[in-house]
Amino acid sequence: MRWKLNRRRGLLALASAGLLVASLAACGGDSSDGNDGSSKGSGESWILGTTETVTAMDPAGSYDFGSWNMQYNIFEQLVSIPAGASDPQGDAAQSCEYDDPKTITCKLREGLKFSNGHELTSSDVKFSLERNIAIADPNGSSVLLGSITDATNPDKPVLADGAVETPDDTTVVFHLNKADTTFLKVLTSATASIVDEEVFPADKLLGDDEVVGSGPYKLSQYKPGEQAVLEANETYEGDRAPKSPQIFVQYFSDPAPLKQAVDSGQVDIAWRTLSPTDLNDLEKSDTVDVIKGEGSEFRYWVAQMANKVVGDTPQGKATRQAIAQIIDRDAIAKDSYDGTVKPAYSIVPPGFGGQKDSFEAKYGDPNVDAAKKLLTDAGVKTPVKLKLGYTPTHYGPNAVDEATQLAGQLNDSGLFDASTADAEWEEYQSLYKEGAYDLFILGWYPDFLDADNYLTPFIRDGGFYANHYSNPEVNKLLDQELAETDAAKREQIIGQLQDIVAEDVPLIPSWNGVNVAVANKDMEGVADTLDPTYIFRFWVISKKG
Amino acid sequence: MLKSLVSPFRTTSGLARWILVTGLVITLIFMILAVFAPWIAPYDFNQQKIDGVKMPKMAPPSGDHWFGTNDQFYDILSRMVWGARTAVEVVALSVFFSIVVGVPLGLMVGFIGGWVDRVLVFLMDAMYAVPSLLLAIVFSFLLRGPLGGGVLAAALALTAIYIPQYFRVVRNTTVSAREATYVEAARAIGAKNTTIMGRYLFGNVIQSVPVIGTLNAADALSTLAALGFLGLGIQPNEASEWGYDLSRALDDASAGIWWTAFFPGMAIVLLVTGLTLVGEGLNETVNPVLRKRRLRKVQFPPNEPTTYLAEHDARRLAGGERGDQPKKESR
Amino acid sequence: MSAGSGSLPRYIVQRLLLIIPMIWVLLTIVFLLLRVAPGDPVSAAVGGKLSEDALDVRRHALGLDRPLYVQYLEYLWDVARLNFGQTISDNRPIIDIVRDNGGATLTLTLGAFVFALLIGVPLGLYAGRVRDSVADAVIRIFGVVTYAAPIFWTGLMLVILVAPLGWPTFDIASPITKFEVEPVTHIILLDAMIAGNGDAVVDVLQHHLLPCFTLGLLLCGVFIRLVRVNLLQTLKGDYVEAARARGIAEKYVIRRHAFRNALIPVITVLGLQVALTMSGAVLTERTFNWPGLGDTLIDYIIRRDYAAVQGLVTFFAIVVVIVSLVVDIVNAAIDPRVRY
Repeated sequence: MRWKLNRRRGLLALASAGLLVASLAACGGDSSDGNDGSSKGSGESWILGTTETVTAMDPAGSYDFGSWNMQYNIFEQLVSIPAGASDPQGDAAQSCEYDDPKTITCKLREGLKFSNGHELTSSDVKFSLERNIAIADPNGSSVLLGSITDATNPDKPVLADGAVETPDDTTVVFHLNKADTTFLKVLTSATASIVDEEVFPADKLLGDDEVVGSGPYKLSQYKPGEQAVLEANETYEGDRAPKSPQIFVQYFSDPAPLKQAVDSGQVDIAWRTLSPTDLNDLEKSDTVDVIKGEGSEFRYWVAQMANKVVGDTPQGKATRQAIAQIIDRDAIAKDSYDGTVKPAYSIVPPGFGGQKDSFEAKYGDPNVDAAKKLLTDAGVKTPVKLKLGYTPTHYGPNAVDEATQLAGQLNDSGLFDASTADAEWEEYQSLYKEGAYDLFILGWYPDFLDADNYLTPFIRDGGFYANHYSNPEVNKLLDQELAETDAAKREQIIGQLQDIVAEDVPLIPSWNGVNVAVANKDMEGVADTLDPTYIFRFWVISKKG
Repeated sequence: MLKSLVSPFRTTSGLARWILVTGLVITLIFMILAVFAPWIAPYDFNQQKIDGVKMPKMAPPSGDHWFGTNDQFYDILSRMVWGARTAVEVVALSVFFSIVVGVPLGLMVGFIGGWVDRVLVFLMDAMYAVPSLLLAIVFSFLLRGPLGGGVLAAALALTAIYIPQYFRVVRNTTVSAREATYVEAARAIGAKNTTIMGRYLFGNVIQSVPVIGTLNAADALSTLAALGFLGLGIQPNEASEWGYDLSRALDDASAGIWWTAFFPGMAIVLLVTGLTLVGEGLNETVNPVLRKRRLRKVQFPPNEPTTYLAEHDARRLAGGERGDQPKKESR
Repeated sequence: MSAGSGSLPRYIVQRLLLIIPMIWVLLTIVFLLLRVAPGDPVSAAVGGKLSEDALDVRRHALGLDRPLYVQYLEYLWDVARLNFGQTISDNRPIIDIVRDNGGATLTLTLGAFVFALLIGVPLGLYAGRVRDSVADAVIRIFGVVTYAAPIFWTGLMLVILVAPLGWPTFDIASPITKFEVEPVTHIILLDAMIAGNGDAVVDVLQHHLLPCFTLGLLLCGVFIRLVRVNLLQTLKGDYVEAARARGIAEKYVIRRHAFRNALIPVITVLGLQVALTMSGAVLTERTFNWPGLGDTLIDYIIRRDYAAVQGLVTFFAIVVVIVSLVVDIVNAAIDPRVRY
């Protein structure tokens, strides 16, 4: 028995020795593989690294940065916002004009073609919007097309009857179901991308690697979560002429390797999102530039007005105003974000028509005495117990620093007894709606570049975050602003709304993000595309050979 | 009682004892830090100001801050000392809970047998087939809601992944001990099932628990750090957690600021090492095969299958104890 | 499973059949855990943009508002037909994820084992031979410390060390290689070989070095301990004693008899390491932006993508179960004392 056992073992030992040899050989290949570390890219193609993800390449299936940015490059929209500008200009359309606040007429350019050679006509435009609304993909952004949607049956929304007319191949007329001066801006967003009706199915999404558009680039390879390869679309003849023949987009799941990658030249550009520490470190680098542009990211503290302490009473209002009076935004930007963000003094970020720093005008510098007076006058007993909510990962790891710092500022005033609480993003959402926090932090990126995108979703009847703020005057002004085609008059109403927000304080602006990219010194045109749209315009960027 | 505590020292010699002692000393130091944190640490774990003046940000180690400060204005020495408390709390709680649940469950199921046994073994095996880190992630999601992001939630998330291990070991030992002569004898004289389990089986089964316990503690600490790395651990203003501090400091390291990551990293390495050494040391004393005896000349061959220890070791490391061969009582 | 005796084939069939209920149990556990955890794919994706009503519309479109048991039965029915469905958050068929990302995890793990064996086995043998010496102590401590150091920390340190040299520090291949190499087996190393693209092979191997080494370092502690312990045991074995008694020089005894036998269990233990390796691989993949299953899975867990998490966890479990089955069979084949 024992002898047999040993012999069997001996056999296995032989087998195991064989395995070892095999693995040794494999390893030999692993470690003795020369030292050709240079990349093989031709001088002109370049690599973008990003932590954004792609939900879908199909415009009907996405509502996120990563997907939209690919779509801006692959597709044309009727109108688009050129780098650094704020007003829409023709893209696939020569022009789009409001006939009245409920009607828009667009004329397409002649001879438009998709990259597969198919012609692009007004019928494709209608088809694109129609399918987007009808698919109503759970990850999609058809909600933005509300002004042309018939949602009588909420389970099966459709393009409203007669909302899009195509009198001839190059004319598209929109009949909106309500006065909506933001709709032209909606048409600049990727959700309104024009797709080929001969390729895209009407009732479901097209596979990511099959998408065909008429934009400056076409998608030639897509490996989800790994990389996308874009090549210049030779049939494109518009204003957005591509400057590089080929672009690689590399997806990162964590900022740390992205930082290493751009620092060591393994990617040419890192755009979204590096940590403040990384950015400050890269500033010192000789090989890369940290390039900053105006940003429209918005971080703010919402008062949950269902809670009595900051509720809809004179005392609650005084408390909210006192917080707005105490918050030291400069200190938050400097200490919690290493100066990589800009203090925000209005619900509408700088750069938008009608923007004004209402909070600065009303409250000035942080002032504890003024806050004390506000509270005393309203008969609020101090210290006021306050619970601040934040979520640890969704808005980046620095959210906890901001929350801790704000709580510290409030406590240092001696007027408040503030504590912090946190929950993962999922739980956080239901908790803030339930009133678990008196003040909670949220972030926002605009869907399209219009001041209204910072107003209607936020302050009409509690906003999307359901903070129970409701002011009939605000609602009236919002209606007016949406129906106003005269820019100057509209901006004046938008200014009024910001002043009301500073007075009522349903939320407290904290900071605006900066649109920042890190690029190696061979890259040209990066600074041009860094504007509040957060559209990364691949076509304006090139690499010196 | 005292005798059994001392026995590992008496029965070991040379390196084995040295390893056990080293591990114990390291673990003990951290235990002292944990217990006396408020007195040892110069500042509170979430203190950013001294007398109303903000501490410097990312200051290098100096006379004022021995280990420097990090980008959250925290004193790293204080964070490290308080971190010992968090680590000990989380690990002790998770080990305690998994023993309290796993051991009686394994004992009862192993003793009763039948379909309950089969079903539970099956369930636990299924849990075991999922990589432990993934289980910990899902459980931490689950528990952070009702319990908040604190120590208790982290401890319970870890508990969930270690219960199957205790269960398996205890259940297997029980199954083999159930047929042992002394249990048969107890049964023959009419002892009640509870008596047999409580008096005879428990004492036998419990021997293997300290080894798994210490090794699991080491593993739990690593998993806690990993959760911190993924942003799912304990928040800095709730408690000081090394894994969190380390993950926050990873960015600094590439910017040439070494002290923010070095100290929490060292703390993790040291305590995990300490616990593992204790576990290994105990293992050598519990497993006679490994024990170096003074009288080595005349010796009978061991009758355990020689692969057993290796498997036991690997299975432990692989996140579970699944050996089908029960551990035999030492002669 | 320890009672009775039977033939090996019967044992294998039994174990294979057990995989099915095992997967069912796992699916149920994962299904319930995910549903009980707060949040869903909709709120994870657009909760910060839309009102509760708009979120409900999307939940309804995904069928998430239906009774739990309906969703559960439907899912089981799909799985029973081997239809694992698509991810919710980016419409990828689960099978595609396994296919596209599985290769990266496989080569990472295999590479790590190679390193672990290369470092761990010689060190373990040496430590066992010179038991209780200073060298033994140093090697053992080395094994414990590499296991104790958080892998994301070790990984980053190595990256900082080699990145200035121009060595690739992330991903499985450079973009151009990924673009050029046609996926045939979906294991990029093999694909590059099939394509006969020498540069691509070199590129892929270069990318493997650092992550494999990092994960290998974590694993090598296990091998050091294992080999050392086994050597010690074998040295006590009667046949070794017999060899000694016959007056064979100690050097020969160790080389001829002990080493060989001490290495046998390493093979069986390899398989048991799968679960540990998977946990380690998750963190390694994240540190090196490795396009493997672990990293992908974490992303999907964060996005609450039920379908993806269920599918991938099932896949992980199947791998672990099959590997441990193979290990048990090998074990049984070597050692008749293991009865089934």
